[in-house]
Amino acid sequence: MVNLDELKKEAKRVLEDGKVKYVIGYVKSKASNMAAPAFVTDPEEIENLIWDPTCVQNLTKFIVDEKKRKAQQKKPDTRPVAVVSKGCDSRAINVLLQEKYIERDDVFILGVACEDLGVIDEKKLAQKLKGKRFGELTFDDKKNVVATTTDGTVKVPVKEVLAERCVECQANTPLIYDVFLGEEDRRKPDAPFASVEKMESLSNKERGAFWQEQLSKCVRCYACRSTCPMCYCDECVVDTINFAVTPDTTAQEKALRIKWIERASTKSENFGYHLVRAIHLVGRCIDCGECERVCPLDIPIRFLNKKLEKTAKELFDYEPGMDTEKPALVASFKDEDPEEFIR
Amino acid sequence: MDKILEKKSLTNWLKKLTGYDVYAPVLKDDLWNYEIISDGDNLELDYLNTVQAPKKFIFPQVENLLDFGSSDEGTPEITETLPQPNPTVILGVRPCDGKAVILQDLVFGGEFTDPYYWNRRNATYLVGLTCNTPPSPNCFCTSVDGSPHSQEGLDILLTDLGTKYFVEALTDKGRKLVSAGQALFKAPTAKDKKDLEQVKTGSEKKIKRQIKNLKKVPPKLKDMFDSPLWDEEAMSCLRCGICTFLCPTCHCFDISDEVTSSLPLKGHRIRTWDTCQFPDFTMHSSGHNPRPDKASRLRQRMLHKFQYFVEIHKKYQCTGCGRCVSLCPVGIDIIEVLDKVRDYG
Amino acid sequence: MAEEFEPKIVAFLCKWCSSAGSDLAGVSRMQYPPNVVPIQVMCSGSVSPLYIFNAFKKGADGVLVSGCHPGDCHYIEGNYYARRRIALVKELLEFVGLEPERFQMSWVSAAEGTKYTEVIKDFVDVLKPLGPQSHLRREQ
Repeated sequence: MVNLDELKKEAKRVLEDGKVKYVIGYVKSKASNMAAPAFVTDPEEIENLIWDPTCVQNLTKFIVDEKKRKAQQKKPDTRPVAVVSKGCDSRAINVLLQEKYIERDDVFILGVACEDLGVIDEKKLAQKLKGKRFGELTFDDKKNVVATTTDGTVKVPVKEVLAERCVECQANTPLIYDVFLGEEDRRKPDAPFASVEKMESLSNKERGAFWQEQLSKCVRCYACRSTCPMCYCDECVVDTINFAVTPDTTAQEKALRIKWIERASTKSENFGYHLVRAIHLVGRCIDCGECERVCPLDIPIRFLNKKLEKTAKELFDYEPGMDTEKPALVASFKDEDPEEFIR
Repeated sequence: MDKILEKKSLTNWLKKLTGYDVYAPVLKDDLWNYEIISDGDNLELDYLNTVQAPKKFIFPQVENLLDFGSSDEGTPEITETLPQPNPTVILGVRPCDGKAVILQDLVFGGEFTDPYYWNRRNATYLVGLTCNTPPSPNCFCTSVDGSPHSQEGLDILLTDLGTKYFVEALTDKGRKLVSAGQALFKAPTAKDKKDLEQVKTGSEKKIKRQIKNLKKVPPKLKDMFDSPLWDEEAMSCLRCGICTFLCPTCHCFDISDEVTSSLPLKGHRIRTWDTCQFPDFTMHSSGHNPRPDKASRLRQRMLHKFQYFVEIHKKYQCTGCGRCVSLCPVGIDIIEVLDKVRDYG
Repeated sequence: MAEEFEPKIVAFLCKWCSSAGSDLAGVSRMQYPPNVVPIQVMCSGSVSPLYIFNAFKKGADGVLVSGCHPGDCHYIEGNYYARRRIALVKELLEFVGLEPERFQMSWVSAAEGTKYTEVIKDFVDVLKPLGPQSHLRREQ
């Protein structure tokens, strides 16, 4: 078990030493049952940090944010930021390092082990409670979620409401860290791609109908893109305006910009957006599942990334975020890459 | 016009509404959303609030404004495409969402009326339902001059009294719907009226979240444009559009041309939702962006809802539905932010 | 009699091999179906997945990416990158329910005019029974 007091102690220490600018961690949220991210600069406020299975978010996103903020400041504070990082989140940091988007000195990683648990899926919990409205969530020593509902408290084992990605998790222990908390207990899932395999077993037609229905729901709020630590481009193909526009850009250049994906949230444009998003994350997505969690319309977009993760593993023996020294998946090749599909 | 409708007669009433498209909240994939219903047989009117507000029926995400093209001789041709929707009944509108429609009317009405909006608005019948228990843990309608039984914007308000609904037909449109079901509706007794009052007062007390002294906020916001509070609050913001796209009162849009064929030229001019939370919302064609960071965009959301709108229309542009609070992926809480603004300095 | 369905194929042909191969087929007056809209690109490795998605969106019934044989790339290794990327795009498109036959890749050298005509002939034959592609196509 991760000792929360120890986590706080370490966080406080680096903050007080002036070693880091601030600590990114989790705190209880008033608005939601899931933990909210917190940015702690005052050592006194370290007390508010929590660590439990409601700490779902991948905080790596905020390292990307920090880099962008720094780029805009004239005299930025170049000290690193400390970040509480789960196993999956540490893989995301690995990818950023591999792509040389950040330097190792930019972050101080407080690695926390998920051990035999992970984070919970609020929707699964809601199903378990059969639609009963629930208030506060707490966790007992026996690894149960204790939910207060209108008919008293209900106990559910955390294992039964784990997020799908935690069930299929391939890195429950941080791969990279400066301080490590918890026990190293590397487990391998029995079926790391079970959910995708279920989808694959459907006929092409059934899958087509499934995605037609799901992607038609999309309102293009771009939360999936915004929460993804890998979506750090300054300019995205779906944006209406090209950020490379400068005062020197001519009117003609602006007018001739190709609109690959139109603004309308119609089916074909939604397909375009989600296909591009998926292919842009191939070999980079580390399956933190954030895109799916944040989707207000519950579109199972994680499938698209997971499918490509599986393909990359099967065809090219590539696992994103596991090794920072390896060249990136689509920036490399091997002579023996499969080509049976080519005529 | 007050009436009583037995719950078991609801289906029969809906069947009598011929010529109308009837939408009601339906639970699908664990989410409540408005779906067209053929009859009321499996209708469950004890739903949590829908993910998307009924806004989408009146101000859809994509509206075709006009079609353009060129004739064989090369002369431009433009056809206006005003919507002519079927009369649409939306059953089970929460009072906050009903009130939101009134706020939208202020934007799309007034000096310049928007025919696309009003064609849909006039064809939409809103049948509300009192929230006996709050449909979301983050409801705060009572703090923004609303209530769980507000009648604003609704054509009919239903109130669940156990085995029956108390039906208040509030507008001519509402009375038209009630008269379609004539014999099914009975006159309320004195006891029904008493029960109604009781449910209504009870419902208000169940709203847990509150912003105290909200009226202090608008004048305060005026001096807070450059406050560091926005930077702190926006640290965790992801710059997605959830809060605004799912807000029942947000109404910003963008207009763009979609060319479907270049020879001969053909295309549509469309209006789509847009949001102040996207970085490109205020991007100028020069490359300058007056709202360059997350803090200025979060500030814009607060200022628009609680300062500018109040100055122009004397109303908060928020109905307390709680969607932006519940659905924000990082738990940015408008209630907390406004609390901080009120107590700031 | 109902008119037979004529599929529309968008072919991204690399300038150095496949496009030259199609030219050879042309100047040699080889007969092959006129269903192809050829688009010359500098290298098969320069074909962005966006091009492919957009071809389908704008109404292509089939998309072909064709480049130099492995080892023959004008830019030494562009086609190796393409091979990887196209494999991934192909898997993705199948996963979202596009018929796998609709997206193909081939190696055609500048001397293989005959192979080019065969590739196109076979592609058209495969596409005809499938009918028009509507899965990713823009709503009219």
